Amino acid sequence: MSASRLRRLAPRAAGPALAVLTLALASGARAEDPAARPWDERVLTEAIDYDALASDPSLSVEALSEKGRHLFEGRFIEADGAGRPEATQAIVPTKRRRAASHMFLRLSGLDANSCQSCHAMPVSGGAGDFTANVFVSEGFESADFDTTDPQFSNERGTTHLMGAGLIELLAREMTADLRAQRHDVVTEARKSGAAVTRKLETKGVSFGEITAEPDGRVDVSKLDGIDSDLTLRPFGQKGVFGSLRQFSVNALNQHSGIQPVERFGAAWTGTNDFDGDAIADELSVGQVSALVAFQATLPAPGRKTDLPEVWSTAAARGETLFSDIGCATCHRPSLPLDSLIFQDPNPFETAGTLRPEDVATPLKLDLATLDWVKALPKDDQGRTLVPLFGDLKRHRIADAARETLGNELLSQRFVARDVFITAELWGVGNTAPYGHRGDLTTLHDVIDAHGGEATEARKAYSALGEDDRQSIIAFLRTLEIGK
Amino acid sequence: MTLSTTSRPHGTASRFRGLSLALAGSLLLTTLGTPAAVAAGSDEAPRRTSITPVPHFVEEGESAGIAHRYEGPWEFFVGGGVAIFDCDGDRRPDLFMAGGSNPADLYRNQSPTGGALTFEKVDSGVEASRLDKVLGAYPIDFDNDGVMDLVVLRLGENLLLRGKGACRFEVANRALGFEGGREWSTAFSALWEPGATYPTLAVGNYVDRSAPGSPWGTCHDNFLFRPSGGEHQDYSEPFRLSPGYCALSMLFTDWNRSGEPALRISNDRQYYRGGEEQLWAVSPGRPPRPYRRSDGWRHLKIWGMGIASIDLNVDGFPEYALTSMGDTKLQTLDDEGDETVPVYTDIAFEKGVTAHRPYAGDDLRPSTGWHSEFQDVNNDGLWDLFIAKGNVEAMPDFAAYDPDNLLLGQWDETFVETGDTSGIALNRRGRGAGIADLNMDGLPDLVVVNRSGPASVFRNVGGGSGDAPRPLGNWLGVEIRQPGKPNLFGVGAKVSVKIGNRTIVRDVQIGGGHASGQAGFLHFGLGVSERAQVRVRWPDGNWSHGYRVFANQHVIIERDAENAALWMAD
Repeated sequence: MSASRLRRLAPRAAGPALAVLTLALASGARAEDPAARPWDERVLTEAIDYDALASDPSLSVEALSEKGRHLFEGRFIEADGAGRPEATQAIVPTKRRRAASHMFLRLSGLDANSCQSCHAMPVSGGAGDFTANVFVSEGFESADFDTTDPQFSNERGTTHLMGAGLIELLAREMTADLRAQRHDVVTEARKSGAAVTRKLETKGVSFGEITAEPDGRVDVSKLDGIDSDLTLRPFGQKGVFGSLRQFSVNALNQHSGIQPVERFGAAWTGTNDFDGDAIADELSVGQVSALVAFQATLPAPGRKTDLPEVWSTAAARGETLFSDIGCATCHRPSLPLDSLIFQDPNPFETAGTLRPEDVATPLKLDLATLDWVKALPKDDQGRTLVPLFGDLKRHRIADAARETLGNELLSQRFVARDVFITAELWGVGNTAPYGHRGDLTTLHDVIDAHGGEATEARKAYSALGEDDRQSIIAFLRTLEIGK
Repeated sequence: MTLSTTSRPHGTASRFRGLSLALAGSLLLTTLGTPAAVAAGSDEAPRRTSITPVPHFVEEGESAGIAHRYEGPWEFFVGGGVAIFDCDGDRRPDLFMAGGSNPADLYRNQSPTGGALTFEKVDSGVEASRLDKVLGAYPIDFDNDGVMDLVVLRLGENLLLRGKGACRFEVANRALGFEGGREWSTAFSALWEPGATYPTLAVGNYVDRSAPGSPWGTCHDNFLFRPSGGEHQDYSEPFRLSPGYCALSMLFTDWNRSGEPALRISNDRQYYRGGEEQLWAVSPGRPPRPYRRSDGWRHLKIWGMGIASIDLNVDGFPEYALTSMGDTKLQTLDDEGDETVPVYTDIAFEKGVTAHRPYAGDDLRPSTGWHSEFQDVNNDGLWDLFIAKGNVEAMPDFAAYDPDNLLLGQWDETFVETGDTSGIALNRRGRGAGIADLNMDGLPDLVVVNRSGPASVFRNVGGGSGDAPRPLGNWLGVEIRQPGKPNLFGVGAKVSVKIGNRTIVRDVQIGGGHASGQAGFLHFGLGVSERAQVRVRWPDGNWSHGYRVFANQHVIIERDAENAALWMAD
């Protein structure tokens, strides 16, 4: 047996009796009736049965979202499972080499005891100021880094989650569409006996091309702005997370040390207390679903109304210019959405996050019942137009001349350091600061920072007169999160 | 203690609840990362249950169109192999099954992706008289044309069957100067030696029935067929690996991470005198040489039936599971051993893989193990071990009901028996076998050739049922190729898959098991990782860059290619 293995095993072997005692105490504390202590500081006091929710024909989307709000805004404590003394922040369950020295560490986490502690501006579920920046690393090798040196982590601003349910639905439809196109190409190549090359496009957004060979091989080297498995992952500033559920499971562990069973439970780790905090099975699939429901139903940002005429006039001009100079090539005003049924789990989920195959009946939330969704415009095909001002595609956004938006050293989830998903601009009017690090204070600054594929649009902006540039700012400032 | 007293009363989805219930009563153990132990009865020793997900297997041999039996007299008490490989270029694994006194059969895979297994018996194009008395077969592209060929082990002349595509073959013995011999051949392995255009073939033989005193102490020598130099492929000058000790499995393996595989041979003590397990150094351009006591090789006598190899602890030194009558061995390089001294220690007991007697039924006599193979059948990222079991014929001192083993790897680095709970514990006498994803759904399926019984063809339906399969962990299928080079399919390569902090490695090998070989996608379980980095150490020792791939796909990595290509089943 190697010395390193001995080191890993030693702490576990040394303390079973202590672990048993602690677990017994923890479980005893939780067994008490919450109503007996109305001042109870715990967040996780209510069981949420996924199967019961999914099979309830009278399920109230609003009621489930409220349960999720409670979890989103609650301040987790140790008795909830907050803390992960033996686990790193990594997405794939990973043991620390040694126990954490502190419960909270600003960089490697815990860095929050609540989702809302960062996602709060201007409402719960919103964005975060620079003070709410997070530090992104894969968390496998350097769990204890305590430096802001970018070689160890990428510092990121907190984005808002408003309208995120519609974003995920768009991504699902685009994924399904792109995969269907791939299937058609492969089928055609097999049938024809010759290689077939085809451009991939969905909802008007192009994603490069693939070539299928008659034997079923597919060359994906010319795909553009999407992962090679053709899963459109819309979340995170890189666009590397596919669903609110996956993001939530990741974030709960990283930021708060709350470990959902579906990723960190015994099935995939061999223990129901992977993080070694003496709390077993910290978050159930039903509770994660409530969190997802809250986020998926957060109202989409809208437009500031009741503007003085000078602003409304400038904004109208600015919106036209925004399109004319090429900004809308990536920051598309809207994308059409066919279905408003939000199934949880996501049909493209992989193991480690709840999958449709893991449940008897998937939970379905009909977002069409929400007033703010009803108010969204439709196109002539009856599709809901989601006003995201984005294209859900990744682009190279920095270069040598403009490197600010590529100011990271680490690639994330296979995506190069200077490539990011197009930021959705809905809500940009009241979620400053800007940029991936949240270190650009004005809209002008962030526009001026655009490089890479956005160079021509940025140059066109710079070439405008001051009034026209101000018109664009006036327009962007109308894209607000409602309060 | 039950889980309900230790976890808060959260609702759970049914699958996760099922797992939790299975763990009831075992929190202390699960907390320590140890598989749960439950007593089967009040007076019985507790039997551990698997914490890692148990896949369900559904036997579909008959409905899949496979009506095949391996049988025959004494000479076919051993053997009964299956070659699993693609014979028609669609990358779906087809089956060539030894029949003993029955003809060997070739089945073309027509299974829909993710659906019920479906095969069609096809004519291989080889005359029937040469496909009788077959004990086993191994796929290998011995002529480097990109079409998989077969080496067929027989009682009598062994065959090199050149693949012509469309599941048609022709005997290439004469063209390649290959003397098929008259021996009773029961083992095979092959590799491309450094600088060689064509592969070196090792054939293991069993009892020499013509020798005086046969069968006792009359094991036949084994043979090494090295291709003659130059472009012309010629095997007319075999090297005699003497002494032979009745080989039932052999495997070229880079046991000391030297880049120069040696030939491990597992031998049947039933018939040899003064024999033992063997390891031959096979250095390029030099005659093979057996490792001896003075080299550190330790005497070990077992009823060696099958070799499985995997690097469990990823230290570069593979572990070896050796089946036998009675206990299975799991060998790892001992503290006294190193790159030059092959001293092994048996860790089967501490790992829980002795599998020395049936785990089900009430027959307490020792087991008889045959084919062994490491695969990750539940895609949790941990290696599992399959062992085919079955009485030789009617040996009274060994179990009659002797179900096959499926030992699932656990997070505490042990294994737990799940043969019965996974559905593979049939009352059949297993021999050769193979695990491969027959319906391309990412769940490895299982084929077992049984003596005097129908072949078993199990569909892995994951956590579901035949009607509603359900995936388990994430997975990855990897095919490697070296275009423009001999050894197109990279035999001798090592494939390394990194998920998070963990690395999983496996070698591309031909040989081992019991008279059964495979070629095709290498399967890796990825657990909860949705992506992985794959590196290949090519047979010449050069490492590739890291290929970034996503889970639940088949990928093709061509040497020097910038990106991995995908392969779509549909």
